[in-house]
Amino acid sequence: MSEEMLRVENLHVSVDNTPILKGLNITINRGEIHAIMGRNGAGKSTLANVVMGHPAYEITSGEIYFHGQPLDELAVFERARAGMFLSFQYPAVIPGVQVGTFLKKSVASVRDEPPKGRAFRKELNEAMGKLEMDKSFLSRYVNDGFSGGEKKRLEILQMLLLKPKLALLDETDSGLDIDALRIVSKGINEIAPEAGCLIITHYQRLLDHVKPHYVHALIDGTIVKTGGPELALELEERGYDWLDAAA
Amino acid sequence: MNYLQMAVPPRSAHLWRYTPWHRIHPTKPEELPQADSVSFEVEGFELSSMTPESDASEIARAFLKEAGGSSSRLAVKGTGETIHIKARASGHVAVGHLELDIKGDVTILLHLSGDAGWCGIHLSGRIHPNSNLGFGFINELDQTTKLLRCDDWLLERDASFDHATLSVGGFNCKSDLRCTLNGTGSSIRQSVTAHGQGARHDDHHIEIHHLHGNTNSNLVTNAACAGSSHFVATGLLTIAEGADGTDAGQVFRNLLLSEKARAEAIPELEVLADDVSAAHGAASAPIDPAQLHYLMSRGLSPEESESMIVNGFLIDAFSNLKDESLIEQMRTRLTVHLECELKR
Repeated sequence: MSEEMLRVENLHVSVDNTPILKGLNITINRGEIHAIMGRNGAGKSTLANVVMGHPAYEITSGEIYFHGQPLDELAVFERARAGMFLSFQYPAVIPGVQVGTFLKKSVASVRDEPPKGRAFRKELNEAMGKLEMDKSFLSRYVNDGFSGGEKKRLEILQMLLLKPKLALLDETDSGLDIDALRIVSKGINEIAPEAGCLIITHYQRLLDHVKPHYVHALIDGTIVKTGGPELALELEERGYDWLDAAA
Repeated sequence: MNYLQMAVPPRSAHLWRYTPWHRIHPTKPEELPQADSVSFEVEGFELSSMTPESDASEIARAFLKEAGGSSSRLAVKGTGETIHIKARASGHVAVGHLELDIKGDVTILLHLSGDAGWCGIHLSGRIHPNSNLGFGFINELDQTTKLLRCDDWLLERDASFDHATLSVGGFNCKSDLRCTLNGTGSSIRQSVTAHGQGARHDDHHIEIHHLHGNTNSNLVTNAACAGSSHFVATGLLTIAEGADGTDAGQVFRNLLLSEKARAEAIPELEVLADDVSAAHGAASAPIDPAQLHYLMSRGLSPEESESMIVNGFLIDAFSNLKDESLIEQMRTRLTVHLECELKR
């Protein structure tokens, strides 16, 4: 039997009293890759942020379960420690905090045992090697002066080190050139077999590298159509207008 | 004119707006107490005695000169290792004068500590042509001490100066830091990092004077204010007539960590030359919720996240410096301070 990672039931979410999600349902099991596509403002990023516990979003009704447990009592950092990870569309800049220090602290927070010096360095070097990242990254300040591609690589590096059970990837492909897209996709494919993945994207091109099991079309806060990888191709070709009637 | 003949400066003066003279004076403005000595120790170097010289028209400097205390001089000609000066203030009122004469490449760290009721320190320095000084001032005075600090630095042709301050000690602190770029091609990179806790009051007035063309200055102050602390940074940047090709920038940033914490940031420019670049900016704000959320989404607790952001914010003030050894040592002292605070 498949292991359930995330279950969202009839989720309604508002921001500043404006309804964004209007009865969204989705279930993601271990080893499954789900892609969500939709217009700007459809509620894709809202879904990722609300699952991760962003305080700006108000759940007006519905439930979110992680590993069968309701999430509403868990703070953001507790969700991360439980095995949830969000790759941000716009990662925050933290001046003065070196990437190496941040990674070590973060890994120590989510693991039962803090990483040991030499073993952690080896693990870090391997992960950076996979993402073709230079060691000089470690002494730079978190996202400070990073290009769009560098920010996304750092997000994926964190994901590889934190080894989440559920990975939410919010437009991780935006702003990436072809080579960076290939490298980032490699990172996603590495964790995918052991985790549930929710990929939010506008474009089919990421899905050429990361094969989704399910593709969902999100229109006006609701999933109106679910299909296989062929749905992404159809959406790219036809746009979203033909689905408006279903919303 | 001696100190007792001088008029108390009005609060309308830029320098005395937030910390008036009567507030920083050890007793009453009409008194001139005789001070004990601030002791200076330098490993491996000989300090010589000197007679303090200062601008008699400026009340704080006149006061320090006439209050007495210790007077030492250190002349250094290029050294590979960092020179550590230990300055210790004890007793009711303690004053120290230190004059530095710099040739070649030199890095100096001055550690100021002690539990004096009141500490006055006057630093003056001359950086000779084509010389580079990295200077760090670490204020780790007891939390009950009042501090008056005056700096006067003179940079000659093609001299370069990294000037860093870590201000975490003392209860009521007033610093008046002045630097004159007195030679073509000279440059200063200055940073002030301050951590306010409890009801600590910390006022930095920073003057940078460009007298010649093709000179550069870059000033960054980063202050994190907790409790009901109050941080003040007033800047005065002057560019003299004919000092064309000058490039000057000042940034004042304050992080407000509680509702009662206060911060003022007031840069002032006086530009008399035509072909210059001069910029200034100031910002005071609480911690960015997006930063907090980002760190918490990586498993750090709210307290750990806030601590990391504050630490990073303060360390970032040293980013404009070039002297790697100075940067590393200032960062280390700051980290030690913050770790000690976390354990309290």
